Amino acid sequence: MTIRVVIGTVLIAATMMIVTFVMINEPARMPEFEAGFKGRSIEAGAALFQSSCTPCHGIQGKGIEGVGPSLNAADLFSGKRLKEFGWAGTVKDYVRSAIAGGRPRASAAFANYPQRMPTWGQEFGGPFRNDQVENVVDFVMNWEKEALAAAAAATPTPNPNAVGTDINVQLPQGDAANGEKLFTGKGPNGAYACSACHSLEPNKTVVGPSFAGLAGNAAKRKEGTSAEKYFVESIIKPNDFLVPGFNANLMQQNFGQLMDKKELADIIAYLMTLK
Amino acid sequence: MALFQLHIPILDDIKKKGLKPALLAAVDDSIVRFTAGLGINDIRGVLRGDPAPKPNPRVKPHADGFWFHMRPTYYNNLVQPLYPTFRLGWLSVYFMVFETITGVILMLFYTPSPLVAFENMLNIMSNVPLGLFMRDLHKIGAEGMVGVVCLHMLRTFITGNYKKPRQFTWFTGVILLLVTVALSFSGYLLPWDQLSLWAVTIGASMAEATPTPPPLDILGQQWFGDPQFIGTMVNNLLRGGQQFNANGLLRWYLGHVLLVPLVGFIFIGVHYYKVVLHGHSLPPESEKAGEDTAKRVPLDQRTYFMPDILTDELFLVALTTFVLVFGVTFGGYHAPLEPHADPLITPLHTTAPWYFLWLQGMLKLGDKVLWGVVAPGIIVGALVGLPYVEVGPSRRYADRRIGLSVGMIVVIAISVLTFMGTPWYAVSSSVDQEIVATLLPQTHPGPLRGTHYDQLTSGQYNAKDWGSAPTAGLKKLLKIYNDEVEHGKAKLPGVEGIMIIEDWQTGLKKITFRVVWNGGANTFSQDAYLHQDSNYGE
Ligand code: HEC
Ligand code: HEC
Ligand code: HEM
Repeated sequence: MTIRVVIGTVLIAATMMIVTFVMINEPARMPEFEAGFKGRSIEAGAALFQSSCTPCHGIQGKGIEGVGPSLNAADLFSGKRLKEFGWAGTVKDYVRSAIAGGRPRASAAFANYPQRMPTWGQEFGGPFRNDQVENVVDFVMNWEKEALAAAAAATPTPNPNAVGTDINVQLPQGDAANGEKLFTGKGPNGAYACSACHSLEPNKTVVGPSFAGLAGNAAKRKEGTSAEKYFVESIIKPNDFLVPGFNANLMQQNFGQLMDKKELADIIAYLMTLK
Repeated sequence: MALFQLHIPILDDIKKKGLKPALLAAVDDSIVRFTAGLGINDIRGVLRGDPAPKPNPRVKPHADGFWFHMRPTYYNNLVQPLYPTFRLGWLSVYFMVFETITGVILMLFYTPSPLVAFENMLNIMSNVPLGLFMRDLHKIGAEGMVGVVCLHMLRTFITGNYKKPRQFTWFTGVILLLVTVALSFSGYLLPWDQLSLWAVTIGASMAEATPTPPPLDILGQQWFGDPQFIGTMVNNLLRGGQQFNANGLLRWYLGHVLLVPLVGFIFIGVHYYKVVLHGHSLPPESEKAGEDTAKRVPLDQRTYFMPDILTDELFLVALTTFVLVFGVTFGGYHAPLEPHADPLITPLHTTAPWYFLWLQGMLKLGDKVLWGVVAPGIIVGALVGLPYVEVGPSRRYADRRIGLSVGMIVVIAISVLTFMGTPWYAVSSSVDQEIVATLLPQTHPGPLRGTHYDQLTSGQYNAKDWGSAPTAGLKKLLKIYNDEVEHGKAKLPGVEGIMIIEDWQTGLKKITFRVVWNGGANTFSQDAYLHQDSNYGE
């Protein structure tokens, strides 16, 4: 009898403690949960985009000239298109309205496209439920970072002394110490941030392959090609030879236009130290 | 003479006894009124387990109070231990109240409309403090309640309590069983996700099979020109139209929060009344066959409700609440939420909720009308009719060999049917689809979504080379893939499993599973996208 009262009281106290614990964690848990469902929304949007939108807007929303404009594009997210369109709201609202309502009448920029943007939202007579429209909007909006970054990378000041894309170029003597700076450095001053994609930890793939033990592998990659030669090719014409397991265009393609001969030589001298 | 006289007795008391004693007396007095007979000291005595004073104030609430008049003043010592009741009836009441409280909290944040219901669920889970907690509690409580009520029925069956004079108690019990199941099932639809829509669709499609008798001439028309008239009507009533729609959801909601609970509370009242009226039956072996001595409790055989039974019940409340709260926190139980309901996409392997799997199992036996409408009807009919048909006077186990055996056979049959209801039994879909569905199931997250995003290194992989995959997570995944492919070898000659992972967008990967057989002549492929934040519980 008494023991039941005691245990019961202890249990009530324990229950209250758990509830308090949950309560304390709520402010941390709730945003995480929200991000989680945003992620799932983007996943659902990706699938819808793949089946319904790629025929006109292209793979990865890169656009198809004469059919559908690029959505993975900086001028959409920078607000340039909204201005031309006379849209006062946010980019997200603009995208949502274009998707839900469609564009039965061509806007000036796409007047010569024979097809019109169809209506997708159910409330305007399209096939998508509200939540599906929202999923696609989330997916399109998720290009923001990528599109703006690509635009920033695509407009570097051209280097008059650039090596170009001739893989038989004669290189001066390289300085591995400076090469390391160019390899890992972030930001301007001629640093190329290769380390953003290539890790030095074994087996760690960021975007490109890991460079642990690279110098040893490089000589064996292409028969009859020395490690140095292979590096030149890999850096200034990355698509000529793809490391197995990686797709084309994953590596930045314009290093040949950016670096001069000395820089390329320095980087290669550094890569040769990665035994 | 004043026109009216204002008299505040407590002021007199304070004058007479002093402030503190007078206030204490006033508090004690209010408590006595509130409990209909027990003062502070009496309550302390009850909780301490003191022997009852004479005259016993603890019997007064049973005579004068509303809540306690529903409970017997004393039990027979023989029914005080866990056996024979196992306190399952009390636990059923507990769950009913628990569900009402958690349910009302959820109700505050929920609108029964297909346009916003799912969004409301997300909001409850991400924006309402303790919202997820309440939802998990409500769900675990619903499942617990079905279990507890079924066990309670099973125990009253085993101890033979449906027999005279408790036939009607049993009947109200059957109503309560239906209420419990209806509550659980109607709540299933409300989140408006794929899981709920399709689980409930299985139920509703059974109702659609309700047969319509041969044409009758009603209002000069033969069933208004529809030979399936009744089935169509039932379907329209349940779903609001051909498909589940806004009207259907509203109906299920109102049923869930209003109609069914109302019926439930009324019948709990009747059930309780009958239990007090007839007394708790003694264990069958302790009275003569055919006798019912529950109401005749000798003075030296009494266990008073207060304190023993009361503290026992309160203890159970504390224990069960703790178990439930622990279950949804450290126990890791979470109510699932699948993607938004989509009437156009039937997920592979939808199942009914577990307590209806036996019905789904029966449906696999054949005819929808026979197994989906007639058989459940017969089962409910048999439950209702049991006490009026099985009238053997003895409740002793030894005298009820046939009855108890039949009961056990029914329990076993339900278990077997439950197994048959799961996708493991007799679900025909093609091997190639099954291989992919193992990794990428359509009714729950599954292995692929359970793999950490960082483990999914871009590239193309063949399941048979799982050993050389670059990450541990990918190895595990490809191993499962390979095992499935090996299983499929018998049906699909030369089958191979390919998996392709591509970076698709910032924080988003595309994963393609491609099953190839007959030397590349046949393929089946399915893709999925995975976001780094989506957190399926990896
Ligand atoms: C029949 C081809 C076609 C399909 C299919 C199509 N679109 Fe479009 N879309 C267009 C065209 C053409 C425009 C340009 C409309 C205009 O401004 O005149 C456009 C414009 C847009 C815009 C506005 C772009 C801007 O900068 O103004 C968005 C956003 C968009 N589409 C998203 C989608 C999505 C999401 C889908 C899939 C659900 C989709 N589209 C499917 C042809 C298509
Ligand atoms: C945007 C990401 C990215 C950046 C930035 C990048 N790479 Fe790469 N790199 C890749 C990918 C992906 C591959 C594999 C595909 C291929 O061969 O093109 C690769 C391959 C290579 C290879 C061949 C490696 C081997 O194992 O055979 C070399 C060498 C290389 N990169 C050097 C560089 C250098 C030097 C820089 C900086 C100047 C750089 N990369 C910057 C993505 C990147
Ligand atoms: C919400 C559902 C139910 C509630 C709240 C409930 C509540 C109770 C309670 C509190 C008792 C007292 C004895 C005990 O704890 O066992 C009881 C007894 C009983 N119940 Fe239930 N019950 C429910 C469902 C059922 C069902 C489904 C049946 C059977 C079909 C049933 C049949 C009986 C019988 C026959 C008794 C008498 C037992 C005896 O005299 O010992 N009840 N019920």
